[in-house]
Amino acid sequence: MGSVGGGRGEMKETGMVPRGVDEGMAACHVCEKVSPVSEGRCKRCGSHLHLRKRDSISRTIAFLIAGALMYVPANLLPILSTRELGIVTDSTIIEGFLQFWRSGSYPIAIVIFTASLLIPILKIGALLWLCGAAKGWVPCTAKLLGRVYWVTELLGRWSMVDIFVVAILVTMVQLGNYMRVTPGPGALAFAIVVLLTMFAASSFDPKLLWDRLAHEALKKREETGSE
Amino acid sequence: MRKRLSILSWPKPRGGPHHAICHYCDSLHVAEPIAEGTRVNCVCCGATLYQNRPASLARVTAFSMTSLLLMIVVHSAPFITMDAGGMRTTLTLPSAAKDLITEGAAIVGWGVAIFTIVTPLVMAGGLVYVCGPLMFGRIAPGAKFVTKWMSRTEPWNMVEVFLLGVLVSLLKLGSVAELHFGVGFWAFGCLMFSMAGAVAAIDKRELWDRLEVAEGR
Repeated sequence: MGSVGGGRGEMKETGMVPRGVDEGMAACHVCEKVSPVSEGRCKRCGSHLHLRKRDSISRTIAFLIAGALMYVPANLLPILSTRELGIVTDSTIIEGFLQFWRSGSYPIAIVIFTASLLIPILKIGALLWLCGAAKGWVPCTAKLLGRVYWVTELLGRWSMVDIFVVAILVTMVQLGNYMRVTPGPGALAFAIVVLLTMFAASSFDPKLLWDRLAHEALKKREETGSE
Repeated sequence: MRKRLSILSWPKPRGGPHHAICHYCDSLHVAEPIAEGTRVNCVCCGATLYQNRPASLARVTAFSMTSLLLMIVVHSAPFITMDAGGMRTTLTLPSAAKDLITEGAAIVGWGVAIFTIVTPLVMAGGLVYVCGPLMFGRIAPGAKFVTKWMSRTEPWNMVEVFLLGVLVSLLKLGSVAELHFGVGFWAFGCLMFSMAGAVAAIDKRELWDRLEVAEGR
C-alpha cells in the first residue's frame, strides 16, 4: 500500500520495493490496470501491454533531431508577411520579438521570446539530457530528472502560442488593399517543430531513468560484494 | 436507493488484489480503496499514484455540460470585432480556421480547427456521454472506446494556449486599430476554466474502475 493522506511517509530506497519489470507486471498505459505482461492485451480496455515504451530512446532522439533540424527554417523563414500599401514586409520570429521589444511592449516580447525561442531549445536540450541519463552517458539523479521530464511535458504545448498569433492576425487583418497579413512558411515549420517535440516527450519512458538507477545500484553492490 | 449509491463512492472492481505501478519509477504497490479527498503516493519516489476526488462524477458531468454550452456561444457569437480604416472585421473561431485554409495556409488552419474546436468538443462531449450514465451505475454503449480516445485527445487540447495567443495578437493589433471584445471572447475564457475543471474532476483510474464495475452488472 502506498502512503495515504498526501504525505510521503517513509521513503524506501530503490531495490527495497518490488518493481513491475522484475515481477513481469505492466500497467496499461490507457486505463492503468496492472496485469502480467504475458497476457499481451489489457483485459479492461484492450490496449497492448508493454513493460516499457517501445524503442523509447531511439524514437525520442529521432524526433529531437528532426525537431532541431526544422527549428532552423522555422527561425530563418518568415512567420508572417505584412503587405501595407503595396510594400511587403516579412518578419521572422526573432524580428517579431525585436519589434515588440523596441516598441516598449516588454511583457509580450518576453512571452514571444519564452514560448517560441526559449521553450523549444530548453525542451530539446532537456530531453537529450534525459536520454543521456537513461543510457548512462550522463550521471543520473533520478528525482531531479523526473521533475525535468514533468516540466518538459507541461511546457511543451505553450510554444504553439506563436502559431495561434499568426492565425489570428491573418484572419483579423483583411483590410483589402490597405493592409493584408499572410502566414509565412516559417509558421508551418515552427508548428512542425512543436509537434515533433511533443511527440519526442511522449515517446520518452521515465521508467528508464529508474532502470538506470537500479542498474547502477546493482553494480555498486556487486563491486562492494566482491571486495 | 441502491442506484443512487453509485455516485457516492468509488466502487472496487471484482477480482484479486489490485495493483498500481508508479509511472516514474515502476514500483509495484497494492492498490486499495481510499477515502474521498485523499491520495496515494509512491513510497519510492513520492509521485501520486491515484487520488479519490470528491464528488468526481457529479463535478465532471457538470463541468462538461457547461463546456458544451459555452462552446455553442464561443463558436457562434462574435469573438473580436475590429474597426480600422473604416472597415469592420468580425472574427469567430470557425471563420478564422476556414479563412486560413482558403488563404493557402491549410495546415495552420486545420491546426487551429483541431486544437481549439475539435479537441475540446471530443473531451467535453465524451465526458458527458461516459460519465452521465455512470452516475446511475450504467455504461453507455461504446463508453470504453470513447474513454480510450479521450485519453489520446487530452494532450492536444490547447484552449489555454490559444487564449494567450489571442491576448498577444490583441496587443499587437491594439496600436493599429480599435478592438472590441465580443461575447465569444468572454465565453472562451470561461470555457478554458470549465474544461480545466472537467478534466481535473476525476482520476483516470477511478473512471476506468467505474466503467469496469458498471459493465459487470
